[in-house]
Amino acid sequence: MYRAFLVDKDIIKNDIHFSEGCTSCHKGNPKAWDRKIAHKGLVSRPSKSLSTCETCHEDVVKKFKNSLHFTTAGQREGVKGRFSAQELKVFDNKVFEASCRSCHASCGDCHVSSPPIGGVKMGLIKGHRFVKRDEGKTCGLCHGGRVYPEFTGEYGGSADIHYQKGMICVDCHKKKELHGDGVLYKSMKEIKDRPRCINCHKIGENDSEKAMEAHMMHKDTLSCYACHSSSPYRNCYNCHLGKGAESKPGFFLGVNPRDKKTFTTLRLIPTVRKTFKSAGIEMEHYDRLPNYWDTAPHNIRKRTDRTRSCDACHKERRDYLTSDIIIKDGSKANVEIIFKKNK
Amino acid sequence: MKGFTKAKHLIFFGLILILAAFTVANAAEPVVTTAWVEKNLNNPDVVLVDVRKVEDYKAGHIPGSVNVFYGSWAITKGGLRNELPALDDLFDIIGSAGITPEKHVVVVGPVEPPPSRFDITRVVWTLKYAGVKNVSILDGGYNKWVADKKQVSTDTVKPKASSYKAAVKENLIVNKSYVMSRLGKAILVDVREPDFFQGKKKLDFVAKLGHIKGAVNLPNSLIFNKDGTFKTKQELDKAATDVIGKDKTKEIITYCDTGKTCTAWAFILSDILGYSDVKIYDGSTEEWTKDPNAPFEP
Repeated sequence: MYRAFLVDKDIIKNDIHFSEGCTSCHKGNPKAWDRKIAHKGLVSRPSKSLSTCETCHEDVVKKFKNSLHFTTAGQREGVKGRFSAQELKVFDNKVFEASCRSCHASCGDCHVSSPPIGGVKMGLIKGHRFVKRDEGKTCGLCHGGRVYPEFTGEYGGSADIHYQKGMICVDCHKKKELHGDGVLYKSMKEIKDRPRCINCHKIGENDSEKAMEAHMMHKDTLSCYACHSSSPYRNCYNCHLGKGAESKPGFFLGVNPRDKKTFTTLRLIPTVRKTFKSAGIEMEHYDRLPNYWDTAPHNIRKRTDRTRSCDACHKERRDYLTSDIIIKDGSKANVEIIFKKNK
Repeated sequence: MKGFTKAKHLIFFGLILILAAFTVANAAEPVVTTAWVEKNLNNPDVVLVDVRKVEDYKAGHIPGSVNVFYGSWAITKGGLRNELPALDDLFDIIGSAGITPEKHVVVVGPVEPPPSRFDITRVVWTLKYAGVKNVSILDGGYNKWVADKKQVSTDTVKPKASSYKAAVKENLIVNKSYVMSRLGKAILVDVREPDFFQGKKKLDFVAKLGHIKGAVNLPNSLIFNKDGTFKTKQELDKAATDVIGKDKTKEIITYCDTGKTCTAWAFILSDILGYSDVKIYDGSTEEWTKDPNAPFEP
């Protein structure tokens, strides 16, 4: 037996979750001495069915059922624009449930045991304690490819200033965002009450004269990240269904595809023309959506190359997404977001 | 008149003695114990800096300690790991921890897993570089604090930020061209393990096997006891003098693979053993081996 799966007696004694015994969640037969009989009907991941937790946590589960963490609707929303109506049906039936939805979080994935990531399961978060939160594991495991290592600086460059100052995920991303507010959103872009830099950093407050001038001049045309993202972030390439993608650091500034008046940091999303080919989806409208999307790199610093020198953008056009560096055989929509010299 | 001059001399030497005694009293011990830290928990002149990850700090820390995790002090820059932040950023980091040049800073870190011990020494060396006069290490780190059953707090400390400014000690951290200019003149100390020094092994990001031409090998594995505390001064002294000799005035440049672990011997040589001219080569083999003209030998 793996040590990680042994449950400490003190945990059992002190945590109300164990008051009804292991079988209240994991089922099986507690009276049997034979392993096979004891494990008959065993549920290894009890919260996969939300009803297990709903018995006691009705209010939370009611909202969580509709949350993006549970529905993973954002993944469907992000790609569906590339499909014909017929292809979307195939996607929903063949791909979404089997692939995308397999990634959804259930209660236990954040509060008890880490979910399998890329086939690897890290085991219980803290013995079998029901942890309220443990960001390095609960958030860091699922968001450990992009957000978390960028935030802590482990991906390279500098750590995010907010992490340096002792802030962790839930200091910005509140319970309402994590558990949902009960509304069935299609993607996080629909949620109005999301963390925004301006919620804490009002323009003009604590600004030096130079910063004030820069903020006033750029506030309607640049995202905060465009200047304050400090270093290259992870970009994923070449996603083929079932084969995964490859990643490398990159930093791209271009037109925000969701708001073409503004310039922002862009991240390469790995959907290529053949991504869903094995499911029989050619993506009839592949070229309607670009391959690069606005992103909020979690590696914010007060000072960056661009805040230190206007020339980084205004003369050198450093890190601008241009036709020379966009991916080959990418979407024709990429032309709308690359920097054009007359802009 | 003669008697008056004699009296003047006596007063002068008396003042010198008082000043010397005051200086000694002010000089911090480079390595302090958990008992010392416990005694000084409320000392306003002492700043305890915990360099562990934010999550670990929040789970429990020494009461009153401020958290500035390791990644704040050393960043990836220009393709090189463990580089200094820009000076204005570094001063902001120090100031925001409530540190002034006169404060006695005690760096607290993890000693498990063993590589994290060098987080502590790299931060110490960075603080010395930034002009903080008294910097110490908590022997055995936070692990020893817990093992000694000392009081632990989960209250996050928000230090009173100050605007930090000091004269930087540029000569503590040197670059490739400086090392190149000192080949055959300074003692180059490679602190990696013998297999790496001898060219039998290397890390993936280091381009070549071997060591900088003329370097001697003083491995980091000679520094710590199993529990992450430092070996005795006598043990460290013997290990050092066996390799680099007893002349404590010679210029010494330590290096490793990224400029992090070489700070441990640098700290020991300068702060514990009294070698007067110790520097680290920040770029270390990660930078050196990328240069085809930089002499490297198996």
